[in-house]
Amino acid sequence: MDTQPNHAPHQVSVSPDQALTPQTMCPAFGSLRVLTRIDGVQTAMVTDTGCLYGLTFVTHFYAARKSIAAPALGTQELMAGNVAEAARAACEEAARVPGTKLVAALSLCVAETAGLTEEMLPAQINGADVVLVRVPAYAIHSHPEAKDVAITALLKKFTTPARPTDAQGVEQPLTYDQPDAQAADLSRKVIMLGEVFPADPITVDAALKKMGAALAANLPSRSLDDYKMAGKVGAIAALHPFYTQSVATLRAAGVPIVSGAPIGAEGSYGWLKGIGNALKLDPDQVEAVAAEERDKCRAIIAANPLSGRIHVCGYEGNELGYARLLVEAGAQVPYISTSIEKSLYTAADEAWLKAHGTVEVVYRKTLEQDIAALDRYHPDLVLGTTPLSAAAKERGIPGLYYTNMLSVRPLFLSAGLAGTIGLIRDALSRAPRYEWMREFFAGERAPVIPAAAINTMD
Amino acid sequence: MSQSQIQNPKSKIELIRDLDTTSGYWAAVWTMCCLPDVHVICDAPIGCFNLVGTAVPDYTDAIPHIDNLTPSVMREQEVTMLGTAGAVRRAVAAVRARHPDRQVIVVSTAESEMISSDHTDWLGKLDTPAPFYWSRSLEEDEWAGRDRVLLWLWQHFGAPQAGSVSPQSQTVNIIGPTYGCFNAPADLHELKRLIAGAGGRVQLVYPFQARLTDTPRLSDAAVNIVMYREFGEGLAQALGRPYLFAPIGIRQTTDFVRELGRLLGTEAQAEAFIEQEKRDTLQPLWDLWRGPQGDWFPTTEFAVVAGRTYAEGLVKFLGDELGMRPVFVTGRPIQAGEMDNLAVRDFLHKRQPGFVFGSINEKIYLAEAGARATHFIPASFPGPIVRRALGTPFMGYAGAVYLVQEMVNRFYESVFNFLPLDAVKPTTPAGPPGAPVAPPAGRIAWTDAARAQLDAHLESIPWLSRISASRDLRAQVEGYALRNQIAEVTPEVVERALQRPAG
Ligand code: SF4
Repeated sequence: MDTQPNHAPHQVSVSPDQALTPQTMCPAFGSLRVLTRIDGVQTAMVTDTGCLYGLTFVTHFYAARKSIAAPALGTQELMAGNVAEAARAACEEAARVPGTKLVAALSLCVAETAGLTEEMLPAQINGADVVLVRVPAYAIHSHPEAKDVAITALLKKFTTPARPTDAQGVEQPLTYDQPDAQAADLSRKVIMLGEVFPADPITVDAALKKMGAALAANLPSRSLDDYKMAGKVGAIAALHPFYTQSVATLRAAGVPIVSGAPIGAEGSYGWLKGIGNALKLDPDQVEAVAAEERDKCRAIIAANPLSGRIHVCGYEGNELGYARLLVEAGAQVPYISTSIEKSLYTAADEAWLKAHGTVEVVYRKTLEQDIAALDRYHPDLVLGTTPLSAAAKERGIPGLYYTNMLSVRPLFLSAGLAGTIGLIRDALSRAPRYEWMREFFAGERAPVIPAAAINTMD
Repeated sequence: MSQSQIQNPKSKIELIRDLDTTSGYWAAVWTMCCLPDVHVICDAPIGCFNLVGTAVPDYTDAIPHIDNLTPSVMREQEVTMLGTAGAVRRAVAAVRARHPDRQVIVVSTAESEMISSDHTDWLGKLDTPAPFYWSRSLEEDEWAGRDRVLLWLWQHFGAPQAGSVSPQSQTVNIIGPTYGCFNAPADLHELKRLIAGAGGRVQLVYPFQARLTDTPRLSDAAVNIVMYREFGEGLAQALGRPYLFAPIGIRQTTDFVRELGRLLGTEAQAEAFIEQEKRDTLQPLWDLWRGPQGDWFPTTEFAVVAGRTYAEGLVKFLGDELGMRPVFVTGRPIQAGEMDNLAVRDFLHKRQPGFVFGSINEKIYLAEAGARATHFIPASFPGPIVRRALGTPFMGYAGAVYLVQEMVNRFYESVFNFLPLDAVKPTTPAGPPGAPVAPPAGRIAWTDAARAQLDAHLESIPWLSRISASRDLRAQVEGYALRNQIAEVTPEVVERALQRPAG
């Protein structure tokens, strides 16, 4: 799918040997963020002290004000094979917190290397389920993908494969006959899978209600019940492309999956139609709501178009959708990079973006690649990781931490579009301040290499 | 490391809550990377690199990331089959190509130690050999770790080149801080001021404001100041010159300035400086001591969980000098008989002193307990807190004044919060210390037992706040009684009305 042959020379300017610094939080943090935020879940972390210190720090900052239990694991315990015993003791300590419903035992790098298996842990402590969440961060590569690991562990605990087998062990076909009223009600509801801004589920629910459906929950969620419900709803909307194992688990439970997210005019329209199909809603009603959202989006863009060149270089795994919105709103986005792997679920967005002027989409990116791209395309705004945003600001370019952007404005449907465009327009308009600061601290500028021209017409 | 003293009798497993002290690997990176002509390659999975190099220092030292640190990026294949030598080799070559002027040092991590990746041999045989530092990350904590790294740097990059010169008179080195030392810039600033006042000249601040190539010059100074009791003394001893620890409080600081003057032969200048400081930097302390604020100290309780230097310094200053009452103090690294985090958590759930100096852990425990009348004052990592401004020291004369000013202002804050208020919006019952409006006096009857019960509740509130709190709690109980049409307040009603939201 090479729609941009004339841009090939710009690509891959960092040799693999110089791509040294992959960009992600410690992957394990993704799992911790999901698990510690659930009410009634206590975590026990099985790992060495350096790891424990760092992960506790980021958890207390970004996830939950929850005390975290762990065993002290040094060479002695690890080499003497006391890991299972240590894990059990930490789980017991974790379960002492009143109201504990589930203890998540996180097995991290050194525990995984030493070997810790589910059978070594009790199934329950004081009535609380114990779930082993295996997070060998060295084998996971990015924190978004570790969110998938944690959610999958919970879904596996709570969902059963839907297809009953007959006496010969052959799967029987799925039927959509609903045994009771509650199930019938759930069959017209959707669960969104993927972290979102808190206002987004509200606007999505409102749109779904107009179509005769509703939003049941959003995962990751604060409530264990939402995880239990996931196998029973009418459809799962996998908003972000990296929930591959969760999606596989739910698909095996017989739940229809809609991928993509309601971002931008085309995206919102397509997503609402997809939900309508999956839930078998009245097509005319769905078309009316979807078209209304699309037209509202277009009106917002027409009133407040973006112009400028933007790099989208986060490590959250949902960069492609965000970039689509910016492009639809009129920005050029020549370069996009993310921490996750290329997959079936990234293909549609990548194709769309490349058809709309994006030159490079880099998966499993490194800091060196992102910085080289800065000097190749000279963007007007960079949404990046903290080191990359710092590098942008050192060049006098407005730079924002992509993760922060996601946490300050809604993104979905026309309401999210308006908020996001406003934020980006504002960021672009602040360029002179970034230049003033740069000059104040760094002095006269070295001569600038002219930016590569980008053809957005083909 | 904070480990439970309450061990499971069946096994030797020690438990940790909210670990407050990190490992030797972090110590190595945070110490070596202060030197801009060093480039550390950590033999690490990506996560161990990110936490120590970006995610944590971003929010503590407030630097976007440590840019002289590169990971080998250990993946599953390296852990299970290949070993990490290939990954380290690639990183060494790439970093040297990019930064030919930097000294590459390879550092082990817990995971590389777990699979016994020792690179000493082959790194030593490179055309340009590179040293390998075994960080003992599975055994050593960050304080012992920093101490050992500093000594190692001296032994490898200092001692061999240092001539047997006699020290330059009146020069002083400061040993410490490194990255990850709470409040270090302000304390360092104050320390420099004290040294200059005593007649000294600061030569090296190692490693924080030095280069690796400065290391041999460590031996040139006449006196070394070891900034923290937690680490750095090992290096000071190896240097063989007299050394002093950085002071906290008026008495320690005065002794420090005098002793430094004596060691440098500048006694008269040191004395003159102390006299000048009494009328200048320290004057506010004398004024507050003589003013009404001074009356609060003897009735104020405080607790400390912090690095040893701060823990001991705060007890000496706030306790011994000002007469405040320490309810518990526990230093890090923890010593036998001190409270670990499990014990601290239990204590704070039961009882909350007026001031708690600590890390985010104590802040969480106070929040869990619903503590409303306790002032939390950051005094330690972990926890996201920026302390880069130069005007917030705990050490020295300026530190004494800053601490007292900070506490007095928190007192004012308490008073403000307990004063009656005509709110624009109706106050929500059982909210934070706002001003629940008391029903007209006399309409609600109290049994004697209920009154006693209320007094018992007041006992758990810091002394200063009690008068206003008594009015506040009474209003809360009576408001509850009114809403529930209860004519007489019994102990049971008091309990129900004052029930705190569960932690
Ligand atoms: S040991 Fe593994 S889980 Fe822990 S910080 Fe390092 S990479 Fe992350």
